[in-house]
Amino acid sequence: MSRIALLLLFRRTLLAIPILLCVSALVFVILRLLPADPVAMSLPPGASAADMEKLRQAFGLDRPLPVQYVIWLGKLATGDLGVSIYFRRSVAELIATALPATLELVAVGLALGVALGVAGGLAMFAWRGRAGEQALDLGAAGLMAIPEFLWAILLILLFGVAWPVMPFIGRLSPDIALPAPLTGFLLLDSLARLRLDVFASALAHLALPAVALAIGVAPLVMRVLRSSLLDVIQEDYVTQARLRGIPERTVVVRHALRNAALPTISLIGVQAGFMFGGTVLVEMIFAYPGLGNLMVDAVRNHDLPVIQAVGLVYCVLVLGINAAVDVLYLAVNPRLRTPA
Amino acid sequence: MTPRTRAALRRCLASPRVVIGLALIAAAVAVAILAPFLAPHDPQEQDLLNTLLPPAWAAGGVADYPLGTDSLGRCVLSRLFYGARVALYVAALAATGAALLGAALALVAGYFGGWVDWLVSRLVDIWMAFPPVILALILLVGLGAGVNKVVLAIVLIDWTRFCRVLRSEVIVVRRRDYVAAARLAGFTHAQTILREVLPAVLPLLITLFSLEMGIAVIVEAIMSFVGLSVEPNVAAWGVMIADARQTMNQAPWGVVAPVLAIFVTVLAFNLTGDGLRRALDPRLVTSRGEA
Repeated sequence: MSRIALLLLFRRTLLAIPILLCVSALVFVILRLLPADPVAMSLPPGASAADMEKLRQAFGLDRPLPVQYVIWLGKLATGDLGVSIYFRRSVAELIATALPATLELVAVGLALGVALGVAGGLAMFAWRGRAGEQALDLGAAGLMAIPEFLWAILLILLFGVAWPVMPFIGRLSPDIALPAPLTGFLLLDSLARLRLDVFASALAHLALPAVALAIGVAPLVMRVLRSSLLDVIQEDYVTQARLRGIPERTVVVRHALRNAALPTISLIGVQAGFMFGGTVLVEMIFAYPGLGNLMVDAVRNHDLPVIQAVGLVYCVLVLGINAAVDVLYLAVNPRLRTPA
Repeated sequence: MTPRTRAALRRCLASPRVVIGLALIAAAVAVAILAPFLAPHDPQEQDLLNTLLPPAWAAGGVADYPLGTDSLGRCVLSRLFYGARVALYVAALAATGAALLGAALALVAGYFGGWVDWLVSRLVDIWMAFPPVILALILLVGLGAGVNKVVLAIVLIDWTRFCRVLRSEVIVVRRRDYVAAARLAGFTHAQTILREVLPAVLPLLITLFSLEMGIAVIVEAIMSFVGLSVEPNVAAWGVMIADARQTMNQAPWGVVAPVLAIFVTVLAFNLTGDGLRRALDPRLVTSRGEA
């Protein structure tokens, strides 16, 4: 299986390259439609035309568009993402500090969403045809009608303002000094350094944003899992297992769930991609220093180098998740393992 | 109206989801159109002596401001009513645009196949690599802010939702005998697509359209929340949430009211779409009864 998985991964990577090239060119062209002048915005009001021209040259904005793109692409290949017009720092550095924060948030949010969704799906299946199923279905419809960023605000309102039990600003309490980063993932770093106070604080700060993200995924996972369980349970091998006297719980978990998991895994892949989009607003609302916050700041300040680099990073993340899910799909679905 | 259409319509109206959804949408449309008559105040009128009032029924509330006031003393209820105009304007226009663009490309790609299909599918692949919010932000940087730019951005992003789903349906439909029969009877490609293929995928298109209106309401709220949609003085639900967030400690109601408005509107579109899908999808109708 591992060889086929590797082959698949290789193919997906090859396919991702032209997509990323197109994506980056697209972003590049869209951003050059910009009516406002990012250079003029980043200078003090009294700056002279000569100053502006100098800065424009420094950022390469005076060259023709295709030339700018090729230069940008060439630098990208060497890992140079340019310099932020607004922050006046290397874009690669800005992304390197923000990316682990976002990945940590998505990992926790996704894990929570999938856990809740699977539990809900199993519950709906177990209560099929009863009031409990209807209640869960109705609850899911309600949860889905509120987007993540509104959940973020509602959660702050509930657990930050009305009943102030959870922190809702940033990644850590302000009285805890940020430990020197090993990986940038606070949960891992704090454990590696045996700083349980940092771990607890980081986890508490992750809780509300992760719940806001999880609410976006859980109802979908729940519904898809339930309907595939309903399909699978009519298969002959389930009847077989029941006839052999295997307890219902084992039938569901060992036989039905494994096959019903496949559509759910595809769904999780798609949703994980969307979740990166969801983090943008959620991070902004929780002042969580991740990619989304960086993106919103960059958009507000017309910081083109940051916008195009962060946009591209999001696309890499989405394509990466898609490839990872494909490999996972292969790993849990033996029917795909015979080489074509 | 053919008997089959009538039967489909009857199935739709028998679904409680569709009925409740449509009733809520009708109510929202009525509120938006009648906003000048329903709203007790001008949405921009400031009453600086009465800022951050709670709703009328709470302690300290005033009957003149049924849902209280915001930090500038503007009537929350009036702003909510006028906000419905922005939300439904964007929803209707953006969903129509995305449906037209997506359906046109899906019909052409699915019907003709070959390099057209290849090209459209690769376009969809590229678009799908972006989280929609990211593409929207990038587009609004390029296009500039404004509510019509938000509509354009949604059209340019969400056509893929229609295209992906409809294309695979068109591929199934174009192999049916009656499509070949239409061609043999002398229909041009355009006639075949419009008279034979399009009606077959119409139920799916209507369902997607309803869901897309809900999505558009959310995207508009996000963009006006970030300040990229309406002018800051226009009452939109996202703007109201962004304003009220600053004073959430003293006046939580200012946040809750627009959130509820978005919730009800999106729920209405989702219920309608969900109900239509269940009522119109032939696979669901035959295999699982009411499902």
